[in-house]
Amino acid sequence: MHRPGAHEFLLALLEAMEDLPPDFSRRFVEILKKEDVDRPQAIRQLFEDFGGE
Amino acid sequence: MRAFRGVPGEMTVDFGQGESIAVYGDNGTGKSTIADALEWYFTGEIELLNHEGRQHAVRYVGGDDGEVTSVEVFTNGSLGGKVVFPDERSAEAYHAMGRETFLLRGRTLADFINKTKTEKWKALVEILGLDAIESLREDLQRVRNELRKESKAAEEQVQSYRRAIGPAGEAVTHETLLANLQQICGMLNVDPPQSLDQVVDPSWLTAAVGASVAGSEPSERERFLTEFKTLNTPALDASTLEGWNALVTSERAQLLPRASLVREAKRLFETRSIDGRCPLCGQSVDGRQLARRIESALVDMMEASRELERFREPLAQGVEELAAAYKKRESLYTRAPAMGLELPPVPSPPRSALHASIEALAPLDIKAIAGYLSELGKWDRAASKVSRAASPTGPSTRDTQLVMLAAICQQVRNWRMAEQKAARALRASTLADRVFERYQAKQKEDLAGLLKQISGRVAHIYARLHPDEDLAAVSIEPWTAKGVELAIEFHGSRQRPPHGVLSESHLNSLAIALFLAMAEEFNEQLGFLLLDDVINSFDVEHRGRLAELLADEFSDWQLIVLTHDQQFFEHLCRRAPSWRKLEFTSWSYLSGPRTARYATSGILAAARDRLESGDVHGAAAKARRGLEELLQEVCEALRAPLPFRRGQANDKREMAELFKGVRRTLKERAKGLLESIEPLLKNLEADVGATLNVEIHGGGHRSAASEVAVALKRIEALDGQWSCPQCRTRVWHRGTPEAARCKCGQTAFPPIPVGQ
Repeated sequence: MHRPGAHEFLLALLEAMEDLPPDFSRRFVEILKKEDVDRPQAIRQLFEDFGGE
Repeated sequence: MRAFRGVPGEMTVDFGQGESIAVYGDNGTGKSTIADALEWYFTGEIELLNHEGRQHAVRYVGGDDGEVTSVEVFTNGSLGGKVVFPDERSAEAYHAMGRETFLLRGRTLADFINKTKTEKWKALVEILGLDAIESLREDLQRVRNELRKESKAAEEQVQSYRRAIGPAGEAVTHETLLANLQQICGMLNVDPPQSLDQVVDPSWLTAAVGASVAGSEPSERERFLTEFKTLNTPALDASTLEGWNALVTSERAQLLPRASLVREAKRLFETRSIDGRCPLCGQSVDGRQLARRIESALVDMMEASRELERFREPLAQGVEELAAAYKKRESLYTRAPAMGLELPPVPSPPRSALHASIEALAPLDIKAIAGYLSELGKWDRAASKVSRAASPTGPSTRDTQLVMLAAICQQVRNWRMAEQKAARALRASTLADRVFERYQAKQKEDLAGLLKQISGRVAHIYARLHPDEDLAAVSIEPWTAKGVELAIEFHGSRQRPPHGVLSESHLNSLAIALFLAMAEEFNEQLGFLLLDDVINSFDVEHRGRLAELLADEFSDWQLIVLTHDQQFFEHLCRRAPSWRKLEFTSWSYLSGPRTARYATSGILAAARDRLESGDVHGAAAKARRGLEELLQEVCEALRAPLPFRRGQANDKREMAELFKGVRRTLKERAKGLLESIEPLLKNLEADVGATLNVEIHGGGHRSAASEVAVALKRIEALDGQWSCPQCRTRVWHRGTPEAARCKCGQTAFPPIPVGQ
């Protein structure tokens, strides 16, 4: 049986969530794909970017 | 493993063809290096080091800078490969493998059993292999908390600005503030703003005030008061006055009224002969003398006339100025009452007297003129004083009000910007809240579903470990407003948390059951499980049951069980006789972990490799280690009589003791062999002292490559004494220490004399 990792878990979550800003999900998933990135900082920036719109 | 953790050189662990293995070793002998290597290879990190920020400790601490740290895994499938430090693999390279459950450590169990609720939760997700999802949840939670805090701070800032702008610290509304601003603008003749957003734009105030200033006129009173600033008391040039007076009182000037008579006389003299008599009075005169007198008088008159004209013009101008000055002051005096001012009467100028004197070529009254000017000066000063008193001091009221308007606009700007910032922060915080809450809810739902799925299996495994206890199911339930907790069906009742009814060893069993059930249910790629010291809380009986469980129910898996517990190791050896066994006997800084399996040939080959690559120091170290390994192997295989040592201290014997043990054995059982190899042994002892030991202990002497090469050759010669040249196995491969043979039987110990 398949057990999802963080990436798939997040993707499933975001797909199920309605009313998210356009492009939010794609950018969030991109963060998980990146290496050598300060993940909390990148996630925070994401929320701030979309909060500013 | 090479230069990895506590392994200085290279260490190979042979798992056979996917067979299970029980690894035994005291604490500190390096057996967990196996778990570290596999964790690093399959997940890209060693979690314990990662938590402590010591990922660099993946490298052997005593390694040279140039030494490459690596772990290589060999499999019969596609999972094998090599990872080199620093690990530059992309996460995707091990992403799928790292998601599977394969490693359970004793310290994770300890966290599950003993730590705080948060740490227990973390241990649970680690046991279940959900660390990555939990790690992202932690990041989300951290971000959510930060954004909440910032949103709150931004809102407080808004309220602070709002109170600052309101009357007496009271909060003011947008509507009230806009109305106030419009009113102030109306009073200042400035176009009022239509919205607060207009006020926020700094260019609005500049434009509005600029327009109002350009169109505004000073008031009548302001203009009237300005006139006083232009008052200048006139002054007449004293030299002109004095020159005039001197001229008009001179003899030459006395002739001026008779100028026409003198001119007529001159004309007569020029047209008629006078014959010694005056043509007018008939008296006897000298004609020539009379003519000279007439000519002289005429010249004087003309000069006086020119001088007179030179003075008359400035005098007339001065008189006019006096008249104008009087007229201006008289006007101010007349209008002053209408402006609410009271001025003294303006002194009248002696204008007619001056005119009369000038017309009559009479001297002017200089004293009277000076007195008048003095009076006029006094009037001017008095009038200026009155006007200054009536003028506003400093900037005008309008200026002051404009400054206040600008200050209010700035406050509005700060407030509105703070409001915009707070709105952004709130939106970000709300979005983070939504995502985090949904994430956490989904995580709980998924975990609950997952536990439901494996609950039966967990109960079964648990029952194998505790057959007399009735643990029917395991599930997850909400616990307080935020958290979740593990719950068990225990003797027919639901217990949450299980820590309330289960002892430490029972919790230990529950965690192992969860781990094994998870792996069984979800592992797709990894067919091995690694348990590193997981029975710390078990008594002897339960250790036996775990060994039995692993041997019976996980025979399809490749199990790697590391333990420092000798009884558990023996249990495993008995219950699973087909498993491989490996014992770690000791660890030292220079040699690293040492196992009960001798590896002389491998070490000597490594020494040879280093020598060929120019690493003389490394070759000497390896050669010494190879000799030590060989002598230990010989001593153990031939049961050399060595002094008794407590515990594992046999691994720490001095080289001299090992040489002595070999000599005593050969002297008793193979004297001929001893005699033949005695020169070799002596040379090797010398090599250890002169060539190999110096290198090991970092002395000042550095061996030459040739010296190490010779020493290595001697060690290989000694090694050859104990191997069959036909089958390459040791002479003690089978038989007893007293009568042993190699695998093919061609070589024996004690050596068979030639011809027998």
